[in-house]
Amino acid sequence: MFGEISALIVLLPVLAFVLTLFLGKKLPSGGAYLPIAAIAGSFIISLGTFLEIYPDGMVQQSWPWFAGMNIGILIDPLAVVMLMMVSFVSLLIHIYAVGYMAHDPAKPRYFAETSLFTAAMLSVVLSDNILQFFISWELVGLCSFLLIGFWYHKPSAAAAAKKAFLVTRVGDVLFLAGIVLLYVNISEIITTRAFSIEPGNFILQFSTMFEAAKLIDPTQLTLITLLFFGGAVGKSGQFPLHGWLPDAMEGPTTVSALIHAATMVTAGVYLVARTFPMFVATPDTISPGVPDALLIVAYVGGFTALFAATMGLVMNDIKRVLAYSTVSQLGYMMLALGTAGAVLGAKAVGISMFHLIAHAFFKALLFLCAGSVIHAVGTNDIREMGGLFGKMKITAITMLIAALALAGIGFPFAGLGMPIMNIGTAGFFSKDAIIEGALEYGEVKGDMIPYGMAILAALLTSIYIFRLWFMTFTGKPRSERHAHESPGVMTRPLMILAIFALLFGFSQLGFYGYVEKNFELMNVEIAVHEGEAFHPSPIIVMLPVIVGVLGILISYAIYNRRMLDMSKLVSSGNPIYKLLLNRYYEPKLGADIIGVKLTHGVVAQSGEFIDRKIIDGLVIDNIIGKTVFMLGEIVRKLQTGVVQNYASVTLLGLGLLIILLKIKFGGI
Amino acid sequence: MAALISLMILISLIGAIITFLTRTREQARAVALLASGISFVISLILFLRFDSSIPTIQFAESYPWIVSLGISLKFGVDGIGMPLVLLSNIVIPLTVIFAWGETKQANQFYGLILLELVGVLGVFTSLDFFVFYIFWEIVLIPMYFLISIWGGPRKDYSAIKFFIYTHVASLVMLLAIFSLYFNAWQISGTPNFDMFYLLKNYSVIESSMLKDAIFLALLFGFLVKMPAVPFHTWLPDAHVEAPTAGSVILAALLLKMGGYGLFRVILPLLPFSGSPGELVIVMAIIGVVSILYGTFLALAQRDLKKMVAYSSISHMGYVTLGAAAIVPLSISGAMYQQFSHGLITCVLFMSCGVIQHSAGTRIIGDLGGIAKYMPKLTFLMLAGFLASLGLPGMSGFIAEFLVLVNSYFTLPNFVILALFGIVFTAGYHLWAMQRAVFGTYNEKLGHIHDGANYEMFSMAVIILFVIYFGLNPNPVLTMMTTNSEQLYTVLKGVVIP
Amino acid sequence: MTLYLYLIISAIIFTIGAYGIITQRSGIKILMCIELMLTAANLNLVAFSSFNGNAAGQVFALFSIAIAAAEAGIGFAILVALFRVRDTINLDNINILRW
Repeated sequence: MFGEISALIVLLPVLAFVLTLFLGKKLPSGGAYLPIAAIAGSFIISLGTFLEIYPDGMVQQSWPWFAGMNIGILIDPLAVVMLMMVSFVSLLIHIYAVGYMAHDPAKPRYFAETSLFTAAMLSVVLSDNILQFFISWELVGLCSFLLIGFWYHKPSAAAAAKKAFLVTRVGDVLFLAGIVLLYVNISEIITTRAFSIEPGNFILQFSTMFEAAKLIDPTQLTLITLLFFGGAVGKSGQFPLHGWLPDAMEGPTTVSALIHAATMVTAGVYLVARTFPMFVATPDTISPGVPDALLIVAYVGGFTALFAATMGLVMNDIKRVLAYSTVSQLGYMMLALGTAGAVLGAKAVGISMFHLIAHAFFKALLFLCAGSVIHAVGTNDIREMGGLFGKMKITAITMLIAALALAGIGFPFAGLGMPIMNIGTAGFFSKDAIIEGALEYGEVKGDMIPYGMAILAALLTSIYIFRLWFMTFTGKPRSERHAHESPGVMTRPLMILAIFALLFGFSQLGFYGYVEKNFELMNVEIAVHEGEAFHPSPIIVMLPVIVGVLGILISYAIYNRRMLDMSKLVSSGNPIYKLLLNRYYEPKLGADIIGVKLTHGVVAQSGEFIDRKIIDGLVIDNIIGKTVFMLGEIVRKLQTGVVQNYASVTLLGLGLLIILLKIKFGGI
Repeated sequence: MAALISLMILISLIGAIITFLTRTREQARAVALLASGISFVISLILFLRFDSSIPTIQFAESYPWIVSLGISLKFGVDGIGMPLVLLSNIVIPLTVIFAWGETKQANQFYGLILLELVGVLGVFTSLDFFVFYIFWEIVLIPMYFLISIWGGPRKDYSAIKFFIYTHVASLVMLLAIFSLYFNAWQISGTPNFDMFYLLKNYSVIESSMLKDAIFLALLFGFLVKMPAVPFHTWLPDAHVEAPTAGSVILAALLLKMGGYGLFRVILPLLPFSGSPGELVIVMAIIGVVSILYGTFLALAQRDLKKMVAYSSISHMGYVTLGAAAIVPLSISGAMYQQFSHGLITCVLFMSCGVIQHSAGTRIIGDLGGIAKYMPKLTFLMLAGFLASLGLPGMSGFIAEFLVLVNSYFTLPNFVILALFGIVFTAGYHLWAMQRAVFGTYNEKLGHIHDGANYEMFSMAVIILFVIYFGLNPNPVLTMMTTNSEQLYTVLKGVVIP
Repeated sequence: MTLYLYLIISAIIFTIGAYGIITQRSGIKILMCIELMLTAANLNLVAFSSFNGNAAGQVFALFSIAIAAAEAGIGFAILVALFRVRDTINLDNINILRW
């Protein structure tokens, strides 16, 4: 029953968007209850659908659209877990926003846009074809543009919104190029009759794509998947297109929570997971046994995880630390798809998605806590906070839980062969699995670099998140602000999210089992490289937890106990610190040099010069225009103004005419 | 009901004459709106009755005119002309509503707008080459006056430039038409200006040099109108000086005549020209250069309206590219781009007009933060800009997607270059929005007010059309595809080297 | 009497008129020369008419004479007006239509 009405999952928030936009002003709290009700409806339908299709059902609906494309719904295990997560987290953030945005006069616009944002993301998730996926994906980008620039009167917000749209647009164009290439390749194998689309199916549907992937020229397939991955890099803020995500903090904190947890950035990872069969099918030219596309995904992910974590260490804006943390964690998800994908096949999707969802819970929690803190103290700078523990107990404790989850704290009883299950936070389960996957990849393929990056990033993660927590909640207050705990409408979502951040991990095995089946249900075979059972030594199993705890201790020592004087390190004299604080000069390089100087200054201005001075000035005005005038100057001399001259010429002409006629026809 | 097309043109013409004769501006605008409204209703009837499954001419009418020269008034539409007839009838009434507040010589102003309608409808429906040419020229003259009377400070320069440029192009085209005409006369012994008859007889011209000359002359005539780089420099000047209504009509309808010519005349002739493969490459190069060049030039502009003018050049490049790719759906995509750009560009130029009117300047650097006082305009303008940068869900995306995807079959390298332009297209749109509309309010602008209700109304209606045709392209796309598939059966033999 | 005789006379008159137009400077003389040329044409018309036995030519000649009279009237009026303004009817000095 829920399956049939699954289109409403998207349509309800869209309806709420329209209603809130036009009627919001007349409704209490800016019409906030419309989107809340709509998204609650989406969540209920998603949940209902899940219960209906569990354990091995699917929902598929398709309608033809234009030129052989279609619009459709595909709810398989992969989609349904995403749907539940997106609608649930988004619902909590919306409820929280009622309190957080209470004093903003533009509430109707806010709630309308977040509602559309959620709708677009839900539409990304349940698309059954890549075109609809792309369209929704672009709408997600649009909503992020609108929401990051929500306070458009702030120049920095307007600039950040533009940057977010443009940088992700670079990825989107790659994605579009991938779709173009895919379409052309599928059409070509159809014309050569190697492949045919079954009736009722459409050319850009995922099922068709996966079928066709086996027949497409391998080099082309690598190119297609890498172009798709280019899109994912843009949306998920992977290196080198990561710069927009930290800047996106200019919007309201709830928007950051939406972008970082429930919507938008996870779309990139979801894209790779969605088209995973194509990634697996790419040839292995670089490293034997590892599909090229997966190798690149793994390296980009691993590098981003580490790279972003280094910047997270030095940021002073509470939201910016979290932003780099998101970039880093998304890197983990990519890493999982790449490394585990190469050795474990479809299981990698489960591992990656599990981290995605666990991350959604604790990252939403972190952002909402940060919002609560900012709401209370009125600043983003953690150097001006401190000692808030006593004043904001709920926020502090829930944020501690989230930080523990992010650092991946827990104890791997089962991993050490003990007869008890593992115990830990959600992040412990999810991140451990990723690191283990990277390790297995390293062992099997003899390439330990991804594993090294993952472990190092885990250490840094733990350090920066506890630096944040200690600086915010412990020590002496460093400013005179009067802080107080946030109202219930804000703290209750925190508590709910905290419960999930703590307990979600225990669903691990069931989750893997369910999501793994995804591609089987779609009749796509992904070869699983089953080797011998993998038994690493206890120290290796413990290593992720050890580095996590070590990170906490380091942070505790430095930022709580002040055992180390950081003033020497943290100074403008230290080149590494400067490099990190300036974010590897990425904003300068990207926006100023490439964006303004090169594109605007050099290319566009020289174009303007060519247009105005050469085409218009030289060719049109000078050459053509002057020639015409010159000819006129010559010919006008003939106009003497004396009637007799004209008459003589006329007679002369007449005489000539007569002579000509005479020559031609004879006679007198 | 057979004479619907001529009725539509006649009503616009009579409306134009009556508008010229009215004494007050209230009368003038009422008559103009009424006439264009009736014309819209008729075009809607045509659109709904149109059978999109057949590629032949429908609603055909024919009246003898100058029998001794074989000229007759022949009208009719097919999948190429029908969407553009509808577009013209959407744009003109909304332009009249948008310009509801015009005070200077109002009767002439609205009369000229209606004359434009007469001209473009004639161009899109005439099937006699001579009559086609007459309408082609009719379009030129009201636009000249719209620019030179209601224009900005350099109106005389721009109006003359516009006139000379496009007139030279039409004369070159006229020579080609006559050449076709006399050639066919020589073969059959009877004069006939029928468009399809002349096009059919092109293939039997013996001299290949003459063939190429005719083809290039026609191509030149249409490319100047589109306009394609390097024949485009009249456009920015004309737009900058033209009144808003003039710019809207110029960009939304006049440019479409060039594209219409490509599909109606150029593509059917292409396979019989001297070296079709090379000519297609020339067109593709012109298309891609227009796309990229227009984009970069738009990036360099400081005047909002000039930026929009260059964006038109860039968008019309997709039409040339799609036509040159010779794949059924790329041609459909190019036709759809014409239709879609006609709608979207209205909103852009209207936004510029409202800003100019309210803030007194269009220089992006002198504006800033006007969203604070112009929320309605900001909303509609943002929608228009997003549509223009190809946001999915709006009509522009469908067109560009179809062109890019399908052109890749035959012109892969060109498509890659065009894709490159998409990022920069987004760039200049957002850059302009950020600088001009968002950010802190520039207090030097003094007190500004939001656009008038009638202005907002016509912009909103167009946005609704843009979204509708972005979500449901089929009504228009199906008829286009029927015709582009028919074109393709002729073009199949053309091999792109 | 042959037709040729008339035609030759007519041609002579016409040539005299043409010569006068080119060489004379006075506006009045030029007008008179134009009248001469018209007369030559009329003579041709009448001659052909009589030769062909068709009255149409004579009718045309009458028309032509009438129109020539009107034209001469207007021409002289212009010259008078010109003389009032510029104190001359010497066409060498009246060349304001030059470049």
